[in-house]
Amino acid sequence: MFAKTPSTRSFWQVRLKRICVAAIILVLALCAMPNFYQNKTLLSISPVTNEQALPSNDLVKQVLEQHQFTVAQINSNDTTLVELSRQNYSASAQQLLAQTFGERASVKVIEQATAPFWLQKLGLSPIKLGLDLNGGVLFVLKVDTNKALEKRMENIALEAQAIRVKEQLHGVRIEQNTIQGLQLVATPQGKAGLEQLQNKLLKQYPHLDVQTQQQGNLTRATLSYTEAGQAEFDKQTMLQALTTLRSRIEELGITEAVTQRQGANYIRIELPGVQDPTAAKRIIGATAQLSFHALQDQGGKQVKAEYGTVNLNPLAIFSGADIDSAQAGRDEYGKPLVQLSLSPQGGNKMLHFSRDNVGKPMATLYSEYIADSNDEIQQSSKVISVATIQQVLGQKFSITNLDSWQKAQDLALLLRAGSLDAPLTIVTERTIGPSLGEQNISSGFQALALGLSLTLAFMLFWYRKLGFIACIALFANLICLIGLMSLLPGVVLTLPGIAGLVLTIGMAVDTNVIIFERIKEERKQGSSMTCALVRGYRQAQSSIVDANLTTMITAVVLMSIGYGPIKGFAITLALGIITSMFCGVVVSAQLSQWFYRLNSMTTKGVQHG
Amino acid sequence: MANFWQKARTSGLILSIVAVLFSCVLIAQQGLQLGQDFTGGYVTEFQIVQDLTTQALEQHLTPYVEGEFKLANLGTLQWQLFQPPQDNLSQPLAWQTELPADLGLQILDSRYVGAQIGAELIEQGGLALFVSLLAVALYLIVRFEWRLALSASLALLHDVLLTVAFFVLIGMEFDLTVLAALLAIIGYSLNDSIIIGDKVRELVRAHPDNPVANTINQALASTLGRTIITSSTTLTTIAAIWWLGGASLHGFASALFVGIVLGTWSSIFVSATLPQWLGLSYDNYQQKLTDKELQQLAEP
Repeated sequence: MFAKTPSTRSFWQVRLKRICVAAIILVLALCAMPNFYQNKTLLSISPVTNEQALPSNDLVKQVLEQHQFTVAQINSNDTTLVELSRQNYSASAQQLLAQTFGERASVKVIEQATAPFWLQKLGLSPIKLGLDLNGGVLFVLKVDTNKALEKRMENIALEAQAIRVKEQLHGVRIEQNTIQGLQLVATPQGKAGLEQLQNKLLKQYPHLDVQTQQQGNLTRATLSYTEAGQAEFDKQTMLQALTTLRSRIEELGITEAVTQRQGANYIRIELPGVQDPTAAKRIIGATAQLSFHALQDQGGKQVKAEYGTVNLNPLAIFSGADIDSAQAGRDEYGKPLVQLSLSPQGGNKMLHFSRDNVGKPMATLYSEYIADSNDEIQQSSKVISVATIQQVLGQKFSITNLDSWQKAQDLALLLRAGSLDAPLTIVTERTIGPSLGEQNISSGFQALALGLSLTLAFMLFWYRKLGFIACIALFANLICLIGLMSLLPGVVLTLPGIAGLVLTIGMAVDTNVIIFERIKEERKQGSSMTCALVRGYRQAQSSIVDANLTTMITAVVLMSIGYGPIKGFAITLALGIITSMFCGVVVSAQLSQWFYRLNSMTTKGVQHG
Repeated sequence: MANFWQKARTSGLILSIVAVLFSCVLIAQQGLQLGQDFTGGYVTEFQIVQDLTTQALEQHLTPYVEGEFKLANLGTLQWQLFQPPQDNLSQPLAWQTELPADLGLQILDSRYVGAQIGAELIEQGGLALFVSLLAVALYLIVRFEWRLALSASLALLHDVLLTVAFFVLIGMEFDLTVLAALLAIIGYSLNDSIIIGDKVRELVRAHPDNPVANTINQALASTLGRTIITSSTTLTTIAAIWWLGGASLHGFASALFVGIVLGTWSSIFVSATLPQWLGLSYDNYQQKLTDKELQQLAEP
């Protein structure tokens, strides 16, 4: 009675374990299933406003075929969906259609899942393919946060000057403004004023730090960013750059783009399917900013304008950050313009300013960062228009006098997508043609097929019956790995990733080999098969864990430094280690117990008979 | 027989030491030929319809390509053109559109890497290599006796160094995928050392009276089957990548292949042989054993 309890418990434990193992494999196999149904890339054409009619299917087809695109399928509903026979070329077709129908329809490249409905409903999707398998454009941009900080310090100095004039603080001088800090000097009479100024600035820029020194009877206060403040500023600048770039890319009509931070100061942008980087580059790399200034008779900032130079009040009335939306259009003479709509705060600022300055001129300043011949980034500014304020302006008004329609469109897009405080430089640019992607996929999978079949053949030949178990475990491993890669978000399959997959297959048998060699040894020492199996699996476990853990360490290190393709390799490697440990130890142990128990029963039966 | 193995191991170790010294001299003298990932510059992979020799194509390209460039054949009709980073190039990629139509140029892959990011990558890559060597060594020290741990770490260094030297010797380009392969080698080649180390530990504990040299021989003999099988299946799959995986994985596959051959060698001749030179004996394991025994004895 007492002796029976542990054996029944262990029986249930064994059964539970078996069910768990089977469940895990089944779930992962389910996750791997959508990979049989690769996503379709389609062009979607939708009207800009509800009243406008879509171009007819025949017209779209005609335009596409004139430019050597072959249309496989075209459907029209609320939106027109076009499927090209070579889907890799969808992005260039999108550019063509956007140029042709741009004024009345918006053209986007979209992905459509082809998996059965119930699979889609489970939220399962195939593994994302990297750029080297898909074709597309890659940019790595450096965000110059130092330049942004410099600019911020300049602004603080301007702000301080403005406050000083406005509050009539006597005895306070603003001195030496560098990236290291802004120095305010006060005479004994001006001490109270200095404090007032300090407090105002601190309230507006919360990460500033003040250090006060007494020099004779002068008080010297240095405002600067502390290390933590600077880090916070850098973080915000990076975040702003990321958000701005994301919305710019969205404006370009590329939905599958990947925009992520790389290291401390870099941003990586992957635009799958895009073939011509020039348009994307013009928009992504642009640092154009608009600001609106009052004019001064003397002093201030001298800026180049259409005719000669003008003197501006360096402190802007409002800047690009206050702009809510922008749309390119044309004035009554057909000259391009950009219609702006301001945020409530921006509208307020504009209202106050224009009310006080009716009849006076206002300048629109366009500035951008340009690398000069020494690769130094300089800000270049130009006044694009000086207009007299005719009436009190509110939230809506337009900027006129733009050179070209293209410029108006680009400017509107940039203003919509938000501004960048930090200049960007492209440090890496890569364009992968669609045919190379196809070639990479086929060569990658050929290598996988060859590696897998050779390994399987060898295991069958060498270990016979045990080899059969190893083969099943290997297949389970491949399924689990693919399932896991599809399940985890952010995993991207690249060509080195496929190489990692192949390598995992080659290495995964190691676990089995270690165990099988142990079993052989046990058999040589005269144990029975069942006994040898149990002992073999148990004894080999510590070596297996040791061996895999060290590989895991290097995979993690690789993951933390590598980007793009290398990261793909590291992730496949790391996941491969997990699945091959699971399949090599747990799955094949279950399999061999099951296999040999059945076997021993039948042989026993024969012996008894 | 045991004597023969003993001799073979000793001479193998000496050979490895000589090879390491030779590699150091080679790397220091010739230096690595760094790929575009690290140096920066423009790389264009393209396909043409005409079957030309390298010289003929070079003559075709010279009038169109600005500045100096290097041409390499990737496969039938597929070529790679490398333009190193140079000053005052106004439009380095203009040739891609200006080339006469009869060549039938089709761009497969066009990359630009700034020289600055390349320099950062070298730093980062070196750091990653160093960190993973250190992390693995730390793990080994915790897990094994220091003599075994030190030997296994030295074996790793040996593998990485010789693989790099191989790249210098062949004149193959060292790019980012090769760096990834080096890191993978660190992980994989350690497998062999650990499996053998485990066996050595087990046998030393089981047969305290045997001389250590004999025990190591025994451990090697009993793991030899596994070592050969695993290495050969891995090498087979790597050969499949090399053969079918396309030109962009050649460097990666070569590095892995050489690294794993070296790793197998070093697990036998360096990480299993060196501990004996460092004076590994049964006593090193006795302390642990008695601890365990005491614990077992203390249990009711």
